[in-house]
Amino acid sequence: MLIADALLQGILMGLLFALVSLGLTVIFGVMDIVNFAHGEFLMLGMYSVYWANLFFHIDPLIALPVSAVVGVLLGLASYYCFIKYLLRGPAIAQLFGTFGLMLFLQYFAMFLFSADYRMIDKGLLVGKSLSVGPFIFDWTKLAAGILSLIAFAVVYYFLHKTKTGKALQATSLNKEAASYMGIRTDRMNAIAWAIGGGTVGMAGGLLVNFYYAYPMVGILFVMIAFACVALGGFGSIKGVFFAGLLVGILEMIFPVFGHLIGSDFLGPHFKFTVVYLAYFIIVVVRPQGLFGWKN
Amino acid sequence: MSFLTVENIVKDFGGLVANNNVSFTIEEGEIVGLIGPNGAGKTTLFNCIVGYHRPDSGKVTFRGKDVTGFRPFETNRAGIGRTFQIMKVTTGMTVLENVMVGSFCRTNNRNTARGEALHVLGDLALDAVKDYYINELPIAIQRKVGLARALATKPALLMLDEVASGLNPTEIEEVVELLRRLNSAKKITLFLIEHIMEMVMKVSQRVIVLDYGEKIAEGLPADIVKDENVIKAYLGEKYAQGL
Amino acid sequence: MEKLKDALDFSDFSKAERIGLVIFSVFLFAFPWIGAGSFTTTVMIQFLLFSLFGMGWNTIGGYGGQVELGKAQYVGIGSYTVALMMVWWKVPFWVSMPIGILIAVGYSFIIGYPLFRLKGHYFAIATICTSLVLKDIFDNWNLVGAAKGIELPIHDHPDFLYMQFKSDTYYYYFIMALFYIALFYMNWFRKSKLGYQLRMIKDDEDAAESLGIDIRWCKIKAYSIASAFVAVGGGFMAVYNLYIDPASTMELSLSIKIALMAMLGGAASLWGPIIGAAFLVPLDRFLGSWLGGQKGLTGIDFMIYAALIMIVSAYQPRGIWGIIEQFRKRGH
Ligand SMILES: Nc1ncnc2c1ncn2[C@@H]1O[C@H](COP(=O)(O)OP(=O)(O)OP(=O)(O)O)[C@@H](O)[C@H]1O
Ligand SMILES: [Mg+2]
Repeated sequence: MLIADALLQGILMGLLFALVSLGLTVIFGVMDIVNFAHGEFLMLGMYSVYWANLFFHIDPLIALPVSAVVGVLLGLASYYCFIKYLLRGPAIAQLFGTFGLMLFLQYFAMFLFSADYRMIDKGLLVGKSLSVGPFIFDWTKLAAGILSLIAFAVVYYFLHKTKTGKALQATSLNKEAASYMGIRTDRMNAIAWAIGGGTVGMAGGLLVNFYYAYPMVGILFVMIAFACVALGGFGSIKGVFFAGLLVGILEMIFPVFGHLIGSDFLGPHFKFTVVYLAYFIIVVVRPQGLFGWKN
Repeated sequence: MSFLTVENIVKDFGGLVANNNVSFTIEEGEIVGLIGPNGAGKTTLFNCIVGYHRPDSGKVTFRGKDVTGFRPFETNRAGIGRTFQIMKVTTGMTVLENVMVGSFCRTNNRNTARGEALHVLGDLALDAVKDYYINELPIAIQRKVGLARALATKPALLMLDEVASGLNPTEIEEVVELLRRLNSAKKITLFLIEHIMEMVMKVSQRVIVLDYGEKIAEGLPADIVKDENVIKAYLGEKYAQGL
Repeated sequence: MEKLKDALDFSDFSKAERIGLVIFSVFLFAFPWIGAGSFTTTVMIQFLLFSLFGMGWNTIGGYGGQVELGKAQYVGIGSYTVALMMVWWKVPFWVSMPIGILIAVGYSFIIGYPLFRLKGHYFAIATICTSLVLKDIFDNWNLVGAAKGIELPIHDHPDFLYMQFKSDTYYYYFIMALFYIALFYMNWFRKSKLGYQLRMIKDDEDAAESLGIDIRWCKIKAYSIASAFVAVGGGFMAVYNLYIDPASTMELSLSIKIALMAMLGGAASLWGPIIGAAFLVPLDRFLGSWLGGQKGLTGIDFMIYAALIMIVSAYQPRGIWGIIEQFRKRGH
């Protein structure tokens, strides 16, 4: 019973993780860059919904588009003002560069919003729960899971069915060939950053319904996203979806196992350790990702 | 027992069979040429012998030792040196330092390594550029540095992937001289891929021809140029008429 | 003997660099006598400590070109070994520090073996992961004080065996001695076989392998040397701060800082990490004390710091030393 419950909760979290990781894998696929600041886009997405709720009394659910728009703008601004220049340098400089961006946004948030932990306490779904048979779901988590799934599906559709999306896919398969075909790499990069920022910003907007917003919240989620992206195979959209689910389930189910066998070392504190270890083991054993899918 | 024995090498790149059942032997002290049209699988064959690729099947024996599946550094330590068709243009080390890395393969002492590297550079008439970085040099010289680097590891068998491409006739003449000298004075067995016919024919004692991954001919240079299969696959009418 | 000669031989540097080194050394020796305040002394100690870390990182990260972002775990290993052995068994610093180094090296081999199957982004993120796993464990392990950390027992009298002094000057000279050992070691290292092989690996892995270099083994060796350096610094941190916790010794930001100093100064050069630390440590400290303390300005110090990182990575990825070299080349 405990396990079935953890499984269901894990799936809901996993859907959200998939949405968080989606942008990272799209960006990686198109331009082969790992964006450390990804978690900070999430953080700012969380804050945008939080402030909209506090100042304008907009319900967090209705304010969701705000977080997506904030994310898109952040993504575009980062790309045009910074990442573009970073691309000329070696890989190591790119890593440090996005790390610098991450620090910058963290402390920018600290400066503006202070280090306080903030949580939304009123909203349509906040604090309400739904019981189905023996299971009890928080409405906020249920909404997060379902809306994540929808958002993921929309992006998936965009990438596979529209012309721009196909061009994006072509770029991530082979940059040179794509540019010969007349696809403008620069524009594709910008679109990738817009998608990346938008999806993760929206994920932040969903997350803030049941999780604290604070300036350093991003690092936790960026590590989860790294794990998902690696598990799914860097750049693979389908891969990251299932990897997100898997990580969500792992994260929920391990503490339960720990509880069942009475072990402290599988306690809730270690749920992220499990994620890091999973990443480490899987990239060492199967560097092509868990499923070996290439997009 | 031969110096180098290659038996039934198969390398399949997911449907594209780059080497199909290739077998041949090379004797100590020989100079053997490997020719074939673009994409015939010559570089792949080199990579299978040296260990950059693990052949799907087949066996490579060097000086009586089974070296199939060895890592490239292991085959190098066993005595096989190689140069690359495309040399990476690097900015981090000078020519001398590059060649010293080669010498360090056989010694731990820096002064010995330096001495040997200088010796090799002198031998190849590269002293003048020893303090330049690879990216500052013309391609012809870069290739020569690649050769020097490989030589510094003191190989018994040296495998050269198109060392002479992009060179002018005088430079080609020099390389031919150099290879002959290495072969006779240093007793290094040479196995070379080359596109420039004049050069392969001049320098090789024996030639192996690959086409679509398969060995289609093997023999003396004089016989190879008359071989019908070879003419069809590779040399084309022009060269045949030119003879 | 020959190794020692190599370590002390700076003759292949330009005259300007050698003079710079002499002036810098005189300054370092004389520093405690020029009547600097305690704040400046702490900054200097931090500077020497981070130079030590950076020089260690430079082996694998600079010369070897591997984006290694998990050095903090070795700071943790070094400092926890010293602290725990002192608290539990009253083991003197001079015994526990070498043991800390041994543990760090042993651990680095175990981690390094799978780690160096990876390349590029996979590798960089995996180094972060290993470090965070260790931090998570220490954060929750009650036996070692969990997130609260551990305090070292304070002795009434100065005690050389336990490295407890009343005045920072002693710590200053001690870390300075470690700094010079590291500097001489690195001066030897860059001329050693391993140093050359690593630079080749950084330039062109395929070519390196064709020259008889066992790439993975070389990287593991360099990684463990780096880990040993960092563990020494960690041990020093324990006796100097007399208090350690996972947040101050194993945080991701510490790993990044270590790599960043070397990068900013100029990776794969002897002076790079020192220049980087000389630049970033005071900046970090002074920004923190000027701006960080002001009400309503929390965060501004790190924003400036981060903006600098961004500017350097976008416009001068070869670091400060890279800029200097560029000017010198133009001068020729
Ligand atoms: N790593 C690889 N993965 C997939 N296919 C490969 C790989 N290396 C080579 N190939 C393919 O195998 C075939 C043989 O390539 P190879 O480089 O061995 O040819 P080559 O005879 O050296 O040609 P060239 O004269 O142009 O150097 C080519 O079709 C090439 O595209
Ligand atoms: Mg070839």
